[in-house]
Amino acid sequence: MRIELALFASLEPYLPDSEPGSGRRTRMIDLPDGTTVGEVVARLGLPDQPRVCFIDGRGVKEDATIAGGSRLAIFPPVAGG
Amino acid sequence: MADIMRVNMSDLSVKKEPLAAKYAKFVGRALTDAIIFNEVPPKSDPLGAQNKLVFAPGLFGGTTAPNGGRISVGAKSPLTGGLKESNAGGQVAHALAKLGLAAVVIEGKAADPAARYVLDIDGAGNGSLMRADELAGLQTYETAAKMREFKGDAKVALVTIGPAGELGAKAAGIAFSDPKEYQNRWAGRGGLGAVMGSKGLKGIAVAATGAGLEHADKDAFIAAVRKFSTALKEHPVTGQGLPTYGTNVLANIINEAGGYPTRNFSDGRFAGVENVSGETMREITVARGGDVKHGCHTGCVIQCSRYYVDKDGKYVTKGVEYEGAWALGADCGIDDMDGIAALDRKCSDLGLDTIEMGATLGVYMEAGKLAWGDWKGALAALDGIVTGSADGKVLRDGAEATGKAFGVTRIPTVKHQAMPAYDPRPIQGIGVTYATSTQGADHTAGYSITSNVLGVGGTVDPLKPEGQAALSQGLQIATGMLDSFGLCIFVAFAVLDNPAAFEAIYEMASAHTGDTWTADDLMMLGKQALTMERLYNEAAGFTAADDRMPSFMLTEKLPPHDAVFTVSDADLDSVFDFVPETAKAMGISKPV
Ligand code: SF4
Repeated sequence: MRIELALFASLEPYLPDSEPGSGRRTRMIDLPDGTTVGEVVARLGLPDQPRVCFIDGRGVKEDATIAGGSRLAIFPPVAGG
Repeated sequence: MADIMRVNMSDLSVKKEPLAAKYAKFVGRALTDAIIFNEVPPKSDPLGAQNKLVFAPGLFGGTTAPNGGRISVGAKSPLTGGLKESNAGGQVAHALAKLGLAAVVIEGKAADPAARYVLDIDGAGNGSLMRADELAGLQTYETAAKMREFKGDAKVALVTIGPAGELGAKAAGIAFSDPKEYQNRWAGRGGLGAVMGSKGLKGIAVAATGAGLEHADKDAFIAAVRKFSTALKEHPVTGQGLPTYGTNVLANIINEAGGYPTRNFSDGRFAGVENVSGETMREITVARGGDVKHGCHTGCVIQCSRYYVDKDGKYVTKGVEYEGAWALGADCGIDDMDGIAALDRKCSDLGLDTIEMGATLGVYMEAGKLAWGDWKGALAALDGIVTGSADGKVLRDGAEATGKAFGVTRIPTVKHQAMPAYDPRPIQGIGVTYATSTQGADHTAGYSITSNVLGVGGTVDPLKPEGQAALSQGLQIATGMLDSFGLCIFVAFAVLDNPAAFEAIYEMASAHTGDTWTADDLMMLGKQALTMERLYNEAAGFTAADDRMPSFMLTEKLPPHDAVFTVSDADLDSVFDFVPETAKAMGISKPV
């Protein structure tokens, strides 16, 4: 299956060298069906620190399974206001 | 800090008096609240002689407590009609505290409306008023430059208003100088600049020469400071995210969550977000040689501030901060970072709140008066505020006044104040804060974005109503305490996740004052501040009906989640359930 991956702030350097997605910090990636967020994190080698993950704009835990055609966005801990 | 300085603009006298016993236990926001509660009639005219404008450093003003130099500013608000407490960075809180001043209170009103005065507070902590009519109508940065000229080489912290404040604009703010003497830190919200202007006061210069305050137990204070500083540096948000990208790092994550209000709260995602995000802003600023990490006041260890510079590397404005970048960006359909910075600078020059003005321009664009994305047209519209154009006379009073004047029904306000950069439909916890806050729609009053989106301090599903009232209540109380101590609310990100950071706050308070502060005392101070604000607002005429979302947010579905605001009225009405008990314990029932 193919999904869109978005990595922001300090995670941007971990974007794979694949087909660009809809935005500047996104890529299209191919994954086996049933892949979880945690498996993508491991595959990308993201640093071992807390992060905030969204599938299609909804916050998810790392055991969430990603469906084909969806968008996975991962942020390091950020805040402001 | 034992003295209060009373500046009477009616007879031009300045007096210093010891803090009255009824005020002795309050500092910062709580002291601001207590003075207004006890001295400003709730039904009085906000721009009349009875209103008082209070500047109060927090408990940690004048000390080395990390992030402890914020200033509390308050009065009866011309925008909301309630008690307004606005909080800002800049150098003035430390300067006042070091001169032994717990508060400066501006009272009365100059007899001649054309007269302009500057309050000078010297190195001995004595104040005098100087006539300065030549400052009339000057913009913020010009005003500050002229005041520094008057003062020669003297080291001063400055407080100023722009022309909008002099005109009585309900969206006018008050500016404070930062450590590099840029006049760019703001108590923006609620029209406090108009209160200062109504009194005939154009600026305040405070000698920034006082020595740091003594502590009851110096060693314990230093140990607690170290503990607090370490906690702030170790937390990934306060140690890395905020200092690297600034507050505007939120743009992408709030957009991802579908809560980035776009074109006057008609969409939760902005197609142009990547052009105006914190990441992009950092790239632009670094490439142009701008400063991307400093504190808004001496003693900040997080350092989320930065300067936006033009293509030649010349200073344009602060930040741009997340709220301003959103208000003058996505909310107006503007995705040009230089355009946003120009608008932010324009608001600063004129002395206007960027959040209120961005929301105002969004409403104005929705009315068809200006095309979405037209930042040059927006600049001209803002200029109309000071040149006195017919539309400018409306715009200056904010989003609600503008919506009503031009027949717009989607007006994103609560208690007449515009909502900041989070749509409350897909992020319902912040909606509870907007609806119930004593301040009108205000994100800082109880920043539920923490658990709703950022995964700080636990997780509460932002799209569901469950748990939002309790979340907002806890955060509103904690914020009341932080604002009273003079601590930047960004310390909360570390405090919510690390018990050592919370302990360090009451350890610093105990070691500094010699009194014993406990965790419960901290929360009680927050409750007391909110209780005074709440009782004041009730006496000013607010009821439960004012603690509600604008009706379009209950029915109009916001893409992409098709969300509406679903927190029940009963839940909203529970947020201030602690007020009767707190008021009883404080022995207060209603304001003056
Ligand atoms: S973290 Fe940012 S807002 Fe807070 S005190 Fe430091 S520079 Fe100011």
